[in-house]
Amino acid sequence: MRLITHNLLQCHVKNCNSNNFPLKIEDAQVELIEADYNPEFLVNMLPKIDWPVLVNTAKQLGLPEIPAQVPEDAENNEAFLQGLHSVLLETHIQQGRMICPGCGHVFNIKEGIPNMLLAEHEI
Amino acid sequence: MPQYLVQFAQFHDEFRLPEFLSLAQLARVKYSYEEGSYSLDSPFFKVELESDEAARKLVERAILIKNIYELWGEGKNYAEVHTMVKENPERWPAYNEKSFKFSVSGFGSTISVPEQRDIINSFSFLAFDGPIDMKNPEVQFGVMEDYGSEAGKLGAVKKEPKHIYFGKLVATGGRDVVNKYNLKKRKYLGTTSMDAELSLVMANQALAAPGKLVYDPFVGTGSFLFTCAHFGAFTMGSDIDGRQIRGKKNDGVKANIEQYSLQGRVLDSLVFDVCHHPWRTKAWLDAIVTDPPYGVRAGAKKLGRKDETKTPLKMRTYEGEPMHERVDYYPPTKPYEMSEVLIDLLNFAAEHLRVGGRLVYWLPTVVDEYSNNDVPQHPSMKLLSNSEQNFGQWSRRLITMEKTREWDAKETATVEISEGVVKEEAPVPEKQEHNEEDKDEKRPGHFLFREKYFNFGRQETQN
Repeated sequence: MRLITHNLLQCHVKNCNSNNFPLKIEDAQVELIEADYNPEFLVNMLPKIDWPVLVNTAKQLGLPEIPAQVPEDAENNEAFLQGLHSVLLETHIQQGRMICPGCGHVFNIKEGIPNMLLAEHEI
Repeated sequence: MPQYLVQFAQFHDEFRLPEFLSLAQLARVKYSYEEGSYSLDSPFFKVELESDEAARKLVERAILIKNIYELWGEGKNYAEVHTMVKENPERWPAYNEKSFKFSVSGFGSTISVPEQRDIINSFSFLAFDGPIDMKNPEVQFGVMEDYGSEAGKLGAVKKEPKHIYFGKLVATGGRDVVNKYNLKKRKYLGTTSMDAELSLVMANQALAAPGKLVYDPFVGTGSFLFTCAHFGAFTMGSDIDGRQIRGKKNDGVKANIEQYSLQGRVLDSLVFDVCHHPWRTKAWLDAIVTDPPYGVRAGAKKLGRKDETKTPLKMRTYEGEPMHERVDYYPPTKPYEMSEVLIDLLNFAAEHLRVGGRLVYWLPTVVDEYSNNDVPQHPSMKLLSNSEQNFGQWSRRLITMEKTREWDAKETATVEISEGVVKEEAPVPEKQEHNEEDKDEKRPGHFLFREKYFNFGRQETQN
């Protein structure tokens, strides 16, 4: 699971509607998988990304730092976009867990595939 | 604008014009054609385009287009064709010194080698000085005789061609890639893997291209992740059944990503039920491309219990430990009726696509019961094309829709019932009872599709 996906996921357990994002990553095994660099894609995704969450996630996983705020010239800032690309698309969680800060549901990540299925009392 | 002649492949005829129109939009190419210029039973389609360059851009990734020619002449007979070619002698000198090749082909008939030679010789007035090169010519000219779709049938008497075209080959389509994604060569397959040709057509319908994000909510073994990523899009998928995504040792979706070297664009596959999905964002997808589970090969399922009155949904424990926290836990599922799947899919698309984004999916249907009103609608989604692939009693239809305006939480997908007068929410069966036909109410041709399909009896399944 790449960090772009983590940034777009929230806990969807029934009635868990607040404090359900971001899911807290634990025991993560991180690997890097190269991805195609496409600045246009990154710029398009920027409004959808929760920036402070991405900054924190990168910090927690010990990744190279990204700026605390999106620079105003983001669209043309090659260094910024390259850094974002590496964090967002190339950082891949191979094994680990994601825990909902609200309800405590544990979503496991196995072989890079997050299991987001809910139990029957959670739907 | 100059005239061009598109020569389509002779397959999937209902899919050809929609693909052409999608490609024109993708390549931002201006075109115009006369009404009636396209017909399902002819592979030839006359269209005006701005230039050879535009024609090349348009067909480079076409799956259902074989060739595109600059049209130099046409007519009912060779005298007419020759006259028209001679009207524009200023075209000729550019090719005078080039190595060239002529080819003659017939649609609906074969043309013998001596006949071909005579036809080619009849164009000797072009007086090209360059050498003939059958293998790597710098320029190719094509003569195409159209005998009509009836002519090729058994017992038909060979007649004169109905129409003849002559043109300079500008470009060939992108059909070669079909072979690359051929299922026979794919490492990891499931029973529902979509064939390569149609998967690629779907990627074209979805306008999959670099910088875009395409999602498949019923990803299965990942067919669309690969074909959309082939054209440069980033792709993601999810499925309620993680076994399909994972596969067995050394296979799974991952094995195919590696086989096609698409690690850089196929981003993630997740396990969840799209009825209870964890996506937090809205209007973030450029396209949704999917083959919803219709239950013939893989039964459609969603989370829940079949009869919740008998076994209520609650947390269960095993030896004091909550069941759902066990490593091998798999939640209970219940059947997911086709008509309900489609309404949910359309609602999801309306909410999660960007404006201008596309939903491309297969609608399976019972041929005798189908009507165009069966296609679910949504106020913010516009139907662009509906192409049938027929299997006899049942067929599947490739539906392409585009999101035309912002999503409004108050609006929901509907299926139009009884000649477009009353609109209702899609019929959702309370109980899954077999053969229970509702006498008064019209149901869409995909309602209880699985049950009807198995009632056809032991017929061939071609899927």
